[in-house]
Amino acid sequence: MKGLIYLYQRTITNRVKKALKRPVTYIMAVFILLYVLLICNSLNMMVAEGDFGSAENFVTILSILVFVLIPSNLVSYAKRKGLLFRPSEVHFVFSSPVSPKKVLMFAGVKSFSMNILIGIAVAVAGVALFGSSLLQAFSYFLFFVVFESILEASAIIFCYGNEKLTEKFFKGLVIAMYLFMAAIVGIAAYFMITKEPSFGLLQEFFSMPAIQLVPVVGWNVAAIRLIFLGPDTVSMAGTALFLISTVLMFLAAWRMECTGDYYEDAMKFADEYQERRAKQKKGVASVPWLEKHRKFRRASVEYKGSYAKAIYFRQMLEYKKSPTFIFGWNTLLCFGIGILIGAVCYFNDAIQEFGPGKIFIVPGVACYIVFIFSGYATKWSKELENPYTYLIPDTPLKKMWYATKIEHFRAAADGLLITLPGAVVLGLSPALSVLTVLLYICLQANRLYYGMLADALIGNLLGNTGRTLIKTFLQGIAIGIAAGAAVIAGILVSVEAGFFAMIVMMSALTFAGAAAASVSFAKMEVLD
Amino acid sequence: MLEVQGLTKKYGNYLAVDHVSFIVPNGQVGILLGPNGAGKSTIIKSIAGLLRYEGGVGIQQMPARALEAKRIFGYVPELPAMFDALTVREHIEYVRRAYDSPITDGEVAQLFTRFELDDKQEKLGNELSKGMMQKVSICCALAIKPKVILLDEPMVGLDPAAIKELKEVVLELKAQGTTVLISTHMLEMVKELWDVMFIMEKGRIVGTFTREQAKDADIEELFFQITGGGETK
Repeated sequence: MKGLIYLYQRTITNRVKKALKRPVTYIMAVFILLYVLLICNSLNMMVAEGDFGSAENFVTILSILVFVLIPSNLVSYAKRKGLLFRPSEVHFVFSSPVSPKKVLMFAGVKSFSMNILIGIAVAVAGVALFGSSLLQAFSYFLFFVVFESILEASAIIFCYGNEKLTEKFFKGLVIAMYLFMAAIVGIAAYFMITKEPSFGLLQEFFSMPAIQLVPVVGWNVAAIRLIFLGPDTVSMAGTALFLISTVLMFLAAWRMECTGDYYEDAMKFADEYQERRAKQKKGVASVPWLEKHRKFRRASVEYKGSYAKAIYFRQMLEYKKSPTFIFGWNTLLCFGIGILIGAVCYFNDAIQEFGPGKIFIVPGVACYIVFIFSGYATKWSKELENPYTYLIPDTPLKKMWYATKIEHFRAAADGLLITLPGAVVLGLSPALSVLTVLLYICLQANRLYYGMLADALIGNLLGNTGRTLIKTFLQGIAIGIAAGAAVIAGILVSVEAGFFAMIVMMSALTFAGAAAASVSFAKMEVLD
Repeated sequence: MLEVQGLTKKYGNYLAVDHVSFIVPNGQVGILLGPNGAGKSTIIKSIAGLLRYEGGVGIQQMPARALEAKRIFGYVPELPAMFDALTVREHIEYVRRAYDSPITDGEVAQLFTRFELDDKQEKLGNELSKGMMQKVSICCALAIKPKVILLDEPMVGLDPAAIKELKEVVLELKAQGTTVLISTHMLEMVKELWDVMFIMEKGRIVGTFTREQAKDADIEELFFQITGGGETK
């Protein structure tokens, strides 16, 4: 126990010290502060303008949170994936002479601290925005931080520490929770369809006695109603049941024998999480379930060239072995966006609404998508981690081109999917449609190479956020210049010429960025 | 004493360890040998209490999962994992508190000197190389002043000086009456250390030798005699 306390103390102290030395911490702090102020301000305006500041509305918002958070928390605990252990904890804590229950409680500290923060935020919001009294705010804080945390801690011990109930039981519990959530969504959907959708409808829903008497979740809602709306039979009964269940759960957890069987699951999850985090850091999209069940096909490829070209053909071979070839979730997303653009244009009569400006709808949306979404790393980024890439006797520019060539094919397919539905609905000419797809390819290439450039320029100096900011900044400049060229050519010559000028300018800027970014393929240490 | 009785471990339908039993008496060095995938690491992780298993594991005649047993048990995993935000010195301090270890500051300083960590004491866990992590991991296990210590592939990643030091440490532990179990496939490295050898293949122990039984026989010869590999043309 003394060891765990020491561990947390030193970890927090060292992290704070380290963070204070990094300039990015102060930039982030300013951003977060501004963001919080913005949220507070908009909440204030929303409540004041919409005459939203009633206790009933407050209770409804809290009830929604309860119905979303508690079942999802229980599901994650029942799957033994709700608590995060790191490989260092597996190494040093699991084998140490600390009761496995205490280990669980220390791992739960993050959740409990979050409860305190949420409790404070809700209490302050209640007093400031929804006219709650100080006593009500304090009662809620006490209820949420003390009783809710006891219940959560007991649930953690029950789900992780239970060595008598079988795996089947917990699988059943997870399914039951999912069914419960589905039922709630189903009932809510039924209300929304059969009645006029409004916030009042949600109020009506959560005030139903049947909802307030749903075990744990409903009882929680009952306690919230008792605190903020005053007593009635249902809320008092629900609150009493909540308190009794909390005490019983606590006693059960206290008496439960736990020797540390859960360490195996926790260790597995720690490894999985570590792997996922490493991938996320590199910007690789990964769905663990799919990766576990991925099967490769037999395929072959003819290497039509040597040196850097070999990178391209090897990647092609890998993609040919993949059941989905070069396509993936992004393809589906682009297809969805394309359909959405088409549908919105069709139902809103965009041809009439936008007039000649209709040709800018698809490129505008494409620009927005490319600019806002950070994108994900694919095979090309792995080339940078492979020492053989640097050993191939060819120029960095060629290596970069062949390592990223398939990305342009992928961008062409995605661009086609985004453009086609909108082009059909808007009646765009084939030439304009092709130009739109080309523009999309250019934008994607720009994002790819400018991201690489940002990596090469600042490395790990400003962290992931800094890298994204630099990339977005460079990209913003490029898009701005290209848009400027498009406007000039559009005014002086024609709309098509404007489009063409934008693509030419964007290609030139992208090529310049790519040439500069190719330094990443010159030596491996650039990444560090 | 380290006692393993009928240890069986399954991953789904795959039987990783099949009814394995062995004893390493007090003050002796046991080595667990076997090719990749033989089940050595599974046994080590089970003894360390990281896996569910059938059967029993005893440390100084106490169930391995009892807190009393954990207090006198040191573990060096195959892949060390450090706390990112703790310095090398703070890792040792954590272990000292977690185990309520009687190790003195002087003894800690001695450990750092032996493993050439003197100038790395203020380095954070995430600033260490793999070899350094392994050295810290070994120092942490030794800082417990264990009665039973488990070393899973401890030589991997160590420089020659550290390997030499580790061998000396193992012999010192043995002299102090500590039970040592080393899992390895680097036969050359444990030649002069072992008292009892367990050879594993496909989740089972297929051969057990004591140094007395083996007499002057070479460890490699014994290993390949049992596993049937390593023939040279």
